[in-house]
Order: sequence, then structure tokens, then C-alpha cells
Amino acid sequence: MNWIGLKFQLKTIRRDKLCILTFLLPIIVGIAINLLGDMNLTSTAEPSFGIVQNDLTKETVSWLQETGSVTVYDSTDALDIAIIDPSTQLLGVLSLGNEIRVLRSGDELQMYAVIADTLPLLYAVRNHAGKYEQTLLPPKNSNDILKPLLIVITMITAMFMGCTFNAMNILSEKEDGIVFINEILPMTGTQYVKQKIAVGFLGGVLSTVITAFVCMRLSVTQILPVLLFIILSSFIASLIGLFIGRSANGLMAGIMYIKIIMILFIAPPILFYLAAPAGGILHTLSYAFPSSATFYGLMGILNGNGALGTEIIVLIAHCFLWFLLYIMTSKRIQS
Amino acid sequence: MRGSFFALLKKDFRLMVSSKFFLLAIGSLILYSCYINLVYVKVDQEIFPVYLYDPEQVQENISADVISVYSPEELQNACEDGYSIGIDASKGTPRIIIASCGISRLDEMRHSYALSKLSSGNSRKAKIIGPNDKEMKNRREITAEFLFFELAAVGFLGLASMLFKEKQMGVIRVHAVLSVQKGAFILSKLILILFADLLFAALLTLCNLGVSAGVEVLPKVLVQAGILSMIMAMAGFFFSITLPDFKQFSLLYLVLAVFITTPVFLAGQTGVEMSWIKFHPMYHLFAAMKNAYFQAPVKNGFYYAGCLMSIFLLFLLARYGLDREMKREG
Repeated sequence: MNWIGLKFQLKTIRRDKLCILTFLLPIIVGIAINLLGDMNLTSTAEPSFGIVQNDLTKETVSWLQETGSVTVYDSTDALDIAIIDPSTQLLGVLSLGNEIRVLRSGDELQMYAVIADTLPLLYAVRNHAGKYEQTLLPPKNSNDILKPLLIVITMITAMFMGCTFNAMNILSEKEDGIVFINEILPMTGTQYVKQKIAVGFLGGVLSTVITAFVCMRLSVTQILPVLLFIILSSFIASLIGLFIGRSANGLMAGIMYIKIIMILFIAPPILFYLAAPAGGILHTLSYAFPSSATFYGLMGILNGNGALGTEIIVLIAHCFLWFLLYIMTSKRIQS
Repeated sequence: MRGSFFALLKKDFRLMVSSKFFLLAIGSLILYSCYINLVYVKVDQEIFPVYLYDPEQVQENISADVISVYSPEELQNACEDGYSIGIDASKGTPRIIIASCGISRLDEMRHSYALSKLSSGNSRKAKIIGPNDKEMKNRREITAEFLFFELAAVGFLGLASMLFKEKQMGVIRVHAVLSVQKGAFILSKLILILFADLLFAALLTLCNLGVSAGVEVLPKVLVQAGILSMIMAMAGFFFSITLPDFKQFSLLYLVLAVFITTPVFLAGQTGVEMSWIKFHPMYHLFAAMKNAYFQAPVKNGFYYAGCLMSIFLLFLLARYGLDREMKREG
């Protein structure tokens, strides 16, 4: 390894504000998640009801407040507007003699639609609870699904920074004409690739490790698998950066490529994680995306899951395959 | 005069083609449409499943969507996920088993829901007052968001990439001695970006809302798309003429994308209350775009006056930037 070369690479990066910012961005987001973590995100998960002033009895309102948040509107017109507003799942509740009637906009998620349709019945049977026994088990996982998801997304983004580093670095060399100088320098292609990977890799790893440190509380036994995930994924990301750097012929095209690949890197694992049950064919197929294995692994760690063998093996396989592909294609281009 | 303007247009068009601008736009269009049609329209949240363990079939009037299980272990496993509800009717009084999801109100709602499943009564269905069903709402919502983000990026970046290329080639220096008006120089680029954006907006809308609903909203959407496109392109022109290289410009873009558009997205998508969002200029553009897709009542005159005003001011700024750059280039 040529340490002087690496030193120069790091020096050019230090001058590059874009690289510094991409490096810091996930860390800032990590801190923000940590601060926002205590904010009440649960309010978006519970049912929300809208009522009209002086319409329902006090008893009914307090019953509604037990199962969801209640907002009071001045008139039925204001309530109608709030119900129809597409960005909320608000259900309107109005009195009807001793019973209640419900208004909904018709575009709710199925859960809220069913709640709206059964709410009058729920109201009618509200005093039946005494007829049954109840067991409330304590929450098994951490009480928030959103927070681990946000943390893992931030970490995956941080890992992806290695790609941005490399791609931007190589592209700016292309723009400045350093590529031609590199060709006549006493440096082999492998040395060049090693140095470039090293820069993106180190940047990605460092950024992710700091992010992990900021937003994950890890026990001693969890540190090693997390580190392994970070190292392997950052390696793949910096390799992808090399691919982009080689195939794009301008900064503009490079940024567009990065944008598209970043979406492909981050979105599919989330979708597959939420939509495809573990063990299904779709889940297995999703391992074709290198970031999926990392995503599942990190989610597993955050949810206290021990078995991570498959994910790590898949990641190692990805590392080999992509590296091999890069070497092979670059030889063909040279010849 | 008119001839030289058309020559400018032709040159800018060629520049856009060579920078693969249209190719990228078509790529984004396909990517977004696939995502909307294959994934986003299916996003949903099911109601809590209710599992019943009733070996002696004591319970009558059980509604059809209750799932029967045949052993206590099965019941235990089924309701461990913090979402499902279990009812154990094997011993005398039925027992409702709920694994807490951490949100007490939602737990309470699940409990009430379980009670309703055990009772024989029928519920009066809720009255539907909105114009959209869930799929149409999803389509309108996500199309508005994608269009907003794409227009905020494309006008800004697209104009900058053209301008930086011209700067590199020394076109601006040449223009300083040509008899072409500076306004025309800016205008030809703006018109091309505007038409490209309008075309993109129309195609995205028609592909994802369907033809009949698409045509219905198109006039309003195009107005908003035009406003957004002009503002972003002009801002892009100003920044790219003032900043020395594309890298610094993309840094600015990153800041813009993260700190300016993300809060807008959060406020628009989740309904999270943020009182300061009213002072965010982009939020009003986003809200207008969304309203156009949902055919909500038109915004007040202040909004349009503000838009016209900012377009005019940005045009002056862009001219000033061009002036300064030409002086600098000699």
C-alpha cells in the first residue's frame, strides 16, 4: 500500500467541501434522530378523531380520548374539511341520539376505515369490558418501530457515502485532467484502485461508525457484528463509486447516477423488509441487492436477534462478486 | 432579432440533448411510474387480526374475520407481535390477550375492537364524504410529491449544467461582444426548461393518475408546475452564474435538498404539526401543487402575487449575475 499516495488522496478530500458535507450529513441526521427520538412520534400512529363543539357528551369525549387523540372543531363544515384533508387519517364523530355516527373521507388506510365502520359498535359495547378477563403483555421489542428503521436507514445512507466520495473524487480528477497525469505516473492500475477504494472505504466506515456511536446503544457482543456489517457494506459502496466514476463522463451525469443508485441502494431493502415476510421467495431474492443483507442484519441487531450468519455470508459473497466484476471489466476496457 | 433568438433556442436545445437531459428525464419518469404503480398504490395498513382459541365452540356470533387457532401455544405465538389480538375462550370467562405495542391509546383501541368482535351487534357504517378512494388518494399524493421534488431538482440542476458547460467553453465571453440581448440569453434557456418540465409534468400525471383523472387536474397542475419550474430555473441560473464551479453548486444543491425540501415533505405527508412551516416559502409551492392534484379550492391572490413577484425578482437577479459575469470575463 502506498501510504504517501493515500495521504495525498485524503488531502484533496479535505479541501473538498462537498465530501466533508457528505461525510458529516449522516452524523448530523443521527444526532437529530437521537434528539427527536424522545419526541412524540406515537401521536401519528394512534387514531385521531375530530368532533364538533358542544355536540358530544363529556362522557363520550373522554371515551374517545382513551382510544385516540381528539380535536375539537367549531362547525361541521370545518370538521368536513379536516376529514377530507388527504394528509391526515382523521375520523369525524358526531352524536346521534344516545349513539354516535362516524364520518370518514374514504381514502383511509384499511385499519382506520375498519375502525370508523365499527366505532358505533365499540361505543355501544364500551361497558362490556367487565364481562371478560384481560391480559396485557408488556411490549416485547422496543416500543417504537419507526426509530430503529430511521437509524438503520441513516446508517445505510452513511455507508453509501463511500460511493459518493469515490465517484466525486474520480470525476473531479477527470474534469481537471488528472486522469491523464495518473496514466503516466509510475503507478499500476491495481495501486490506483486500491487507493481509491481506500479513500471511500475509510470515509464511509468512519462516518458510519460515528453515526452508529451516536444513535445505537450496543452491548459488547453486538459491536463485532455491527463493525463487520459496516466494513463489508462500505467496501461494496466504495466499489460502486468506482463503477460510477469510470462510467460517468461528467459531474452532472455522475450526480444523476449517484441519485439513481442511491435510491436503488436504500429503497428496496426497506420495502422488502416491510412487505416480504422472512423465509419467503421474495425475501431470498431481495438478497440480490447488496444493501438488503446489511439492512436485515442491522434491524436484527436492533431488535435483539442473534442469528446473523446468512447476512454476513451474503455480504462477503457480494464483495467478491463485485470486486471480480470490476477487475474483469477494467481489464477489458484497458485491452 | 427574432432569428437570433431562435438560433439561441436551437443552440440551447442541442446543449440539453448532448448533456443527456432528456434521457435522464425519461429515466426518472419510468422509475417513478414503476414505483407508484407497482409499490406505492399497494401501501396499506391492515386492521389488527383477531385470533380465537375456542376448543368447545362456546362463543356464538363470531364474525367471519376472526381467525381460529387450535392450541394455546398457537394463540400465544399469534398475539406476540404487538399488533394482533388473542381471545382465549377455553376457560369459562373469555380472556382477551393483548401484547402491548407501547402506545397506550392504540392498546385501548385494540381492546375495544376485541370486545366488539365478541358481541353480536351490528355497527352503523361510517358515512363517506371524501371524493377519493385510497388508491386514487395515494396516486394523487405521491405524484404531487414526485413532481415537486423532480421539478425542484431538474430546473435547478439542468440549467446549471448547461450554464457551467457554456462557461467552460467561453460562451459567456463571446456573448459579451455579441449583439444578442442579455434577457434573450436567459429567456431561451428558461423557455426550454419550462417546456421540458411541463411535458414531464403532463406525462407523469397522465401515466400515474390515468387519462380521465389526469386530464381533469392537468390545467391546474401545469400552472403550478410552470411557476415552480420558472422559480427553480431562475434560482439555478443565478447561483450557477455566481458560483465558480459545479462542485460548489452541487454542495448548495445538497443543502437545498436536505434542509429546504425535507421539512416540506414531512409537513405535507405526515400531517405533523409544525407552526413555523408557514414561513417556509417552498411549503406554499408544495401545498399549491398538492391542492392542484386534489382539486382543492384555489389559493388566494397573495400566493400568485408572491409567485409573480419572486419570478420577477429572480429574473432581475439572474440578469444582474449575468452582467457581472460578463464584466468579469471582459
